Amino acid sequence: MTEIRYRPVGVDAPAVMRTIDLGHHFGGESARACEVLRDIGFTLRSGEKSVLLGCNGSGKSTLLKILNGLITPSHGRVFYQDDEINPARLKDPILHRRFRAEVALLFQNPDAMLFNPTVFDEIAFGPRQIGLPDIEARVRHWAAEVGVSAHLSRPPFGLSGGEKQKVCLAALMVLEPKVLLLDEPTAALDPRSTGWLIDFLASLPVAALISTHNLGLAPELASRALVLGENHRLIYDGPIQALLTDMEKLAAANLVHTHRHRHGDIEHRHTHVHDWQ
Amino acid sequence: MNLDRAYLGFYLGAVFAATLIHDPVWLACGLGLALLASGRKAMGILRQALFAVLTFNLLISLSYILMAWLQDVSPWVTLIRLNLRVLLITCLTFLFIARVNLFRALDFSPGLTFVLGLAYSQALTFRRAQDDFRLALASRSLKPPRLIDRYRASAAAAAWFIEKALHAATQSSQALRSRGFFND
Repeated sequence: MTEIRYRPVGVDAPAVMRTIDLGHHFGGESARACEVLRDIGFTLRSGEKSVLLGCNGSGKSTLLKILNGLITPSHGRVFYQDDEINPARLKDPILHRRFRAEVALLFQNPDAMLFNPTVFDEIAFGPRQIGLPDIEARVRHWAAEVGVSAHLSRPPFGLSGGEKQKVCLAALMVLEPKVLLLDEPTAALDPRSTGWLIDFLASLPVAALISTHNLGLAPELASRALVLGENHRLIYDGPIQALLTDMEKLAAANLVHTHRHRHGDIEHRHTHVHDWQ
Repeated sequence: MNLDRAYLGFYLGAVFAATLIHDPVWLACGLGLALLASGRKAMGILRQALFAVLTFNLLISLSYILMAWLQDVSPWVTLIRLNLRVLLITCLTFLFIARVNLFRALDFSPGLTFVLGLAYSQALTFRRAQDDFRLALASRSLKPPRLIDRYRASAAAAAWFIEKALHAATQSSQALRSRGFFND
């Protein structure tokens, strides 16, 4: 019997993040300005897992960085609970500390996040900053949860891509955030680690927005999909299963492709999805 | 000849001239002209150039002052000349980059365009990575990071860049060899 792992979060769950008419372009107002996001509006609710789908260059990473208050959007607004979030607002030390502890971003390149001498120090970096009690116990707990206990005394730089990703996850989870923003978290993972990540994320009682362009993986990660089109607009926001049957929408987002297939003596073309991993 | 190529010729000539001029007054005039030519971007270019040369020029200048003091000679004319020349050439370079499409300027040579393409793609990749390193530290910092954390983050980024640059250089040279660009 198949167990339904994901249940839609009720509309009565409190909103944790909200965007209103969000837009962004790089290059200022110059003629060379490059639009990466346009009119993005959605709400993430407490405990809700959503995937952010879009082809390369659709603006997924930029959107996650804006949600994490790292980039000021060219227009529109982002709210975390009742507070508007942008780099200027985060100059308020109380809001900054609360937001950085409660909203965590996993970068696509884990190397960008690692700089401490050992894996232990890497995971302890956040708790030490705010003087949390029982730092050693917290670090050992999360290292065990993600499976890097054996590497605690090693520098993180020599680990494999998948192990680095796990160290980064532990370094974020040790602060027990309420919102996880994950940028292509399976990009550096082998199939076994990808399976582990699916189960790990499902077990976390946090809201998560997970970017990917892997359609085969998306329904395993979340029940809701947000799709960024090639026009940098949000072209879909709804249940992932309904999206997966809407080939027109998927083609518009450049998430499916057409090529010739050979089945024995028969050769034909149709639009379809690959499970890449 | 297209305008970008003309600017390239003018830029190379101006840089060469700046290395031949020794009178600080003329170097200062050259700097003034370069900033005038920058128009509304003048202050931005000057700030960018000052920031770019600050560490290098400071080190050289302090070393020269120490040497001049030990030899009991006045360092000031040489120091002014050196700093003005470096600042002038850097301003000219930033002005050139802001105004000129390098791909159009070098379109007379497929070889140079190819090398420029390689360098440009590497520069873009590295710039994106540098932004990620900076933003990742900001994202993980619950309060302003300590100096030691900044040093560690910079050192980790530098090591990553060196490793990636070496890897990219090896890949590029293998790709060029594979495409028959050279065979030594």
